[in-house]
Amino acid sequence: MKSKINLYLIEFAINAILRAKYKNFFIVTIFTLLTFLLTSIFFITNSVRYELDSTLEALPQITVQKMKAGRQYEIDVSVVDGILGIAGVTQAEARVWGYYYFEKAGVNFSVMGINEYENQYKASFTELVESGKHTLYGTSQMMIGQGVAKIMKMNYYKEYFNFIKPDGRLKKVEIAGVFDSDTNLESNDMILMSQDLVREIFEIEESKATDIVVHVANPEETTTVASKIKLMYPDTRVITTKDLKVSYQNIFDYKSGLFLALFIVTLFTFFIIIYDKSSGLSSEEKKEIGVLKAIGWRVDDVLKEKFYESFIISLFSYTLGVALSLAYVYLLKAPLLRDIFVGYSQLKTDFELPFVFDIQTLFLVFFLSVPIYVAATIIPSWRVATLEADEVIR
Amino acid sequence: MIELKNITKVYELNRHDKVIALENVNLAIEEGELIVLKGASGSGKSTILSLIAALSKPTSGEVMVDKKHISKLPDNFASIYRRDNIGFIFQKYNLIPTLSVKENILLPLIPLNPHAKEAEDKIQAVMQRFHIEHKKDAMVRQLSGGEQQRVAIARANVNNPKIIIADEPTANLDEKLSEHFIEILRELKALNKTIIIATHDPLFFGLDFVDREIEIHNGKILL
Repeated sequence: MKSKINLYLIEFAINAILRAKYKNFFIVTIFTLLTFLLTSIFFITNSVRYELDSTLEALPQITVQKMKAGRQYEIDVSVVDGILGIAGVTQAEARVWGYYYFEKAGVNFSVMGINEYENQYKASFTELVESGKHTLYGTSQMMIGQGVAKIMKMNYYKEYFNFIKPDGRLKKVEIAGVFDSDTNLESNDMILMSQDLVREIFEIEESKATDIVVHVANPEETTTVASKIKLMYPDTRVITTKDLKVSYQNIFDYKSGLFLALFIVTLFTFFIIIYDKSSGLSSEEKKEIGVLKAIGWRVDDVLKEKFYESFIISLFSYTLGVALSLAYVYLLKAPLLRDIFVGYSQLKTDFELPFVFDIQTLFLVFFLSVPIYVAATIIPSWRVATLEADEVIR
Repeated sequence: MIELKNITKVYELNRHDKVIALENVNLAIEEGELIVLKGASGSGKSTILSLIAALSKPTSGEVMVDKKHISKLPDNFASIYRRDNIGFIFQKYNLIPTLSVKENILLPLIPLNPHAKEAEDKIQAVMQRFHIEHKKDAMVRQLSGGEQQRVAIARANVNNPKIIIADEPTANLDEKLSEHFIEILRELKALNKTIIIATHDPLFFGLDFVDREIEIHNGKILL
């Protein structure tokens, strides 16, 4: 049965690709690299954004910190009462937390004290408590994030950890369980324990807290409530979730800039190829088109063949680039690039990139690359194919 | 029947320089005729071939094949006309060197998208007729000049065209291979094909199966 698709043309196109194998290998390499970089950016961006959004969603609407000489200081717990008096505030809690530098591994852990189950950790804590295995409050036990668990395990702390207090004495705390959060950008380096234990480890007085978190009934009023707190306590810094989002975004954008430089180099090379393609064909390519026309090929036969040729190259490169990117980001956890994007140095523990499949990303990368390359191949071929065959052969 | 009526062809080299390749040429070729166009290089022989094959258009005048205005055909129709009617043997063969013999012969069939068996049969037939079957899988660039010419002849005949055009077919061949080509021409003539050859090779002059020898000089037919 006669096929509607001209398989001879496709076969000829494949032969044409193989005939110029070195040139096409270079094009495929650059094209694949471009697709790989572009999709990797999008995959990592999507994953990190998902992480950030999920984390920020669970964060308190307002955080109040005491400022002194431009640095954060411990805040009086009595400020909680003042804030609770503001209309619209449904909840205000003093938090006790800090960063613990684990010198042996060269990383910082975030140590958070809990009195009740904080909102952002509610799901996993409820699960743990309900299972009846552990109760943190009032004990010398802690819950640790997966990143913390990994590092502690590497340093032979499998059941407990010895914190060094400011006075130089050790505080042994038992590992009650590993914290399994939906998102781990923030919680991966987290250690949770009772507030009393945190106070002991960091030497924080009973009347002091690290900061105060405030919940507002109507999210639209967050900014108004924040202004009121600032008026009541001018020596504080009042941070809303919106401020945090902007702050994260700034860091994120800055880090993206570094990556952009790498991307621009690849893009530049790609456009040199495109320019080379669109600015004209070699005399050999022109002659071949002339010969094909002389033996009876129509302009559209030539263009179809050129379409297949460029489409095979670009689609192959695109698919390869996307596949490599998927493996790089989600299997290999994006070594090098992740650090740039996440923006954390070695002081931060590892975190996993959640798989976020966004079909729009793939379409975007496809339309940014494949049609451009196909057009850049077809247009000069069309110019030559519409000349008189005799003129081209001569 | 092929008719050239008052054909003038001018090539514009640039804004100021022009070359008159043909001037007021009139020529009629009957079906099945074998014509030898002879003349020095640059006399206009190849231009006549090019116009008959609709590879270029005349500056003025008309080219008619079987009463159809070939010179006025739009580009795509000119291609179809060539595909269905013309077998062109170029001076330098114009084969694609990185394709095999079989793949080169297949080229004119590709736009027709034939059944695999039909294509195979046609290719097989011309390869046998022009004694190149034993080299069917060899790359054209690996062949001798004579073998390359046989591939070019096979390619020109694979669509079984009515008109065979050969431009300086023996220019790159030694005497023995040239004589072999003349034998091939004799076979093609026996198949009642219209054959037009542009050459200045004396081997073609005075052959018994050539119907007419036409001399071209400075773009004009010498009577």
